[in-house]
Amino acid sequence: MDIKSFTRSLLKVIMSLGILFVFTSQVHGSVYTQNCIACHKDIPVSIDKYFYRYLLKYSSEKKVKHAIKHFLQNPSQEKTVMADAFINRFGIKNKSKLSDKDLENAINEYWKTFEIFGKLK
Amino acid sequence: MLALKNSVIDLHHSEKKTLVGFFSLYITLCIVILIFISFVYYKFQKDLMLSQKRIDLQNYSNEFIIELKQLHINFDKNRVYPRDTRFKTAIYDSDKQLIFSTLKSSSVQLDNIVYTSNKTIHFIKEPESYYLGARYVILEIEDNETWLDDIEQEVMIFTSIGLIIMLFIGYWLLQLFIKPMRDAMHLLDRFIKDTTHELNTPISAIVANIEMIDTSNLDDKLARKIRRIDIGAKTVSNIYQDLTYLTLNHQIMSQNEHLDVGEILYQRVEYFSTLANVKHIEFKMDIQDNILLFIDIKKLSKLIDNLISNAIKYNKINGTIDILLNDKHLSIRDSGKGIKKEQLALLYDRYSRFDKTVGGFGIGLNIVSMICKEYHLEIDISSEINIGTKVEVKWI
Repeated sequence: MDIKSFTRSLLKVIMSLGILFVFTSQVHGSVYTQNCIACHKDIPVSIDKYFYRYLLKYSSEKKVKHAIKHFLQNPSQEKTVMADAFINRFGIKNKSKLSDKDLENAINEYWKTFEIFGKLK
Repeated sequence: MLALKNSVIDLHHSEKKTLVGFFSLYITLCIVILIFISFVYYKFQKDLMLSQKRIDLQNYSNEFIIELKQLHINFDKNRVYPRDTRFKTAIYDSDKQLIFSTLKSSSVQLDNIVYTSNKTIHFIKEPESYYLGARYVILEIEDNETWLDDIEQEVMIFTSIGLIIMLFIGYWLLQLFIKPMRDAMHLLDRFIKDTTHELNTPISAIVANIEMIDTSNLDDKLARKIRRIDIGAKTVSNIYQDLTYLTLNHQIMSQNEHLDVGEILYQRVEYFSTLANVKHIEFKMDIQDNILLFIDIKKLSKLIDNLISNAIKYNKINGTIDILLNDKHLSIRDSGKGIKKEQLALLYDRYSRFDKTVGGFGIGLNIVSMICKEYHLEIDISSEINIGTKVEVKWI
């Protein structure tokens, strides 16, 4: 094998690895996708309903984000925005194991996905 | 020409100043009170109007919140903000960030409940649940401001009536304050009138008899005594004439005629020559001929007498009196001790005297001022301390 064909094969390997990396990252997604969507898709209540519940109770971006983070770090029946019937059926979620930074990133993405600002006509 | 004499007693300069000050203060206070009452009335009427509008706005807000609730529930299917032709709305979150608005006026006071803003009325409602995150719901309706026009009209009418009533009360109060002063002046005038009436006969007798004495046949000693009596009698006669002018003469009509002012001046200087000789005062006359004034002879004589009498009275021994007459003015200048600037403005006040070392009642310049006022003559007094005083009477 001469140097030319070796270089060509090396480039092919690098490109293949790059495509594979992009593909896997798309499959796995962000912290929000991996850690929030992944679980909520199995629950009959879609994830946006929780958002509107938070909005109904806390109103502003700052307060909503703070309330979600506070709940995820230490979930309890007192802190939930969901109805008792819902909790009785599905129970309280487990405490999040995500770091503060990951949790904040996930909540920011959640807010951006469902926020009201700029969507009203 | 017959001119009606002024029978109103002139108030002193300081008294006039006090009365003007009182009246100005009174009017200012009245205006401040009326403005305050108008403002309170305006606030009251505005609150009344807003409380009436508030009932409608409350109903509108309930309707709007129901629609907002529906939008919140169906936000994944419908994102059209609810609108109504009767009112405009805006929603703000709990951090007072605008979520959406159809308002005309951008000036919003979220801490208020109902208020006016740029010809609109705003009503702030806080719903129990924050649909779409809306903690504050603002409703806006047009304000045609007819209530404001009504208030303006009412305030204008009532303040005008109030001010007129206040002015009448002020005038009545002023009259009450002036009364004691006027009474005092009347009392003094009546006293002088009574006194002078009693002096008339003896003074006339003295002056007439002295004039009849032929001094050329008398020895020098006796002639000097007669001259002294003559000076004394003339001084008393002059004071008598001044007092009677003030108390009697100014209540009758003037008999005006064209008079040669120069001729009268020479006569009056001659009359006062005996008095001037006592202080060795020299008259320097610069009189232009044929200067005519349409005036009552008694009044012109009184005016000149008072000016010459003052020039002699306040002059120094061996002084001079410069009398200048031309077609524009008469000026009489003495070489006396002069008058301080701050006292010049008070010179025309009756009974005011600045040099108590010489005799007099302080009425001379008051009479001069009254005569000048009657004949529209301008009087100008200038004085320099230790140099003298110049009185100018201008008729052009």
